[in-house]
Amino acid sequence: MTAWMIGSTALLIALIPCGWIALTASTEKRLVGLEMTGILCTLELMLLTIAFNRTPFMDLAVALGLLSFGAGMVFAHFLAQNL
Amino acid sequence: MMLAIDILLYAAVVVALLSAWLMLRMRDEYQMMHFMSPPASVSAILITAAIFLQQGLKSESFKALFITLVLLMMNTVVTHATARAFRIREQRDVWQPAAGEEVPVLPTDEVLMRRAAEPAR
Repeated sequence: MTAWMIGSTALLIALIPCGWIALTASTEKRLVGLEMTGILCTLELMLLTIAFNRTPFMDLAVALGLLSFGAGMVFAHFLAQNL
Repeated sequence: MMLAIDILLYAAVVVALLSAWLMLRMRDEYQMMHFMSPPASVSAILITAAIFLQQGLKSESFKALFITLVLLMMNTVVTHATARAFRIREQRDVWQPAAGEEVPVLPTDEVLMRRAAEPAR
């Protein structure tokens, strides 16, 4: 088991607090949890790409990094509009 | 070389884990937003450095560098936009922003202390 595999598995634990916030907290806190999840999943995909040595999969991390930005902006916009 | 990669990798993971746990401990959403920054900056930079050490100057290394730049730049924009949305939502009963109007900010500690020191009228 490589350090990349251990690191990617350990990083999954960081998603638990985000999931807890998304399930139990207020609307505003849930949005923060979602944005944090986007960042952590992007890092997770980077680690898994190297851990499994499937280098084209790095494109998934690029796509998620860009799309999570759009998701955060859209949710923030609608939240300000009394969603 | 392997030791350096391991250290960078584990440091990145520890920073992300601490940020996620501390985010859970914060009182309100404004405090929570501060903890999005360490994974998007420190962890991403450390992981990119580890990928460069492991893979060398290959396409995946430069993609990792691009992801880091994306996270660094866009996290600041998203954090600002989210905080602005929260503030508008808080103030919606008393104030609606006109086009281009600035969001009134919360009074700082200095302002609050000055108000407290002023004699009551």
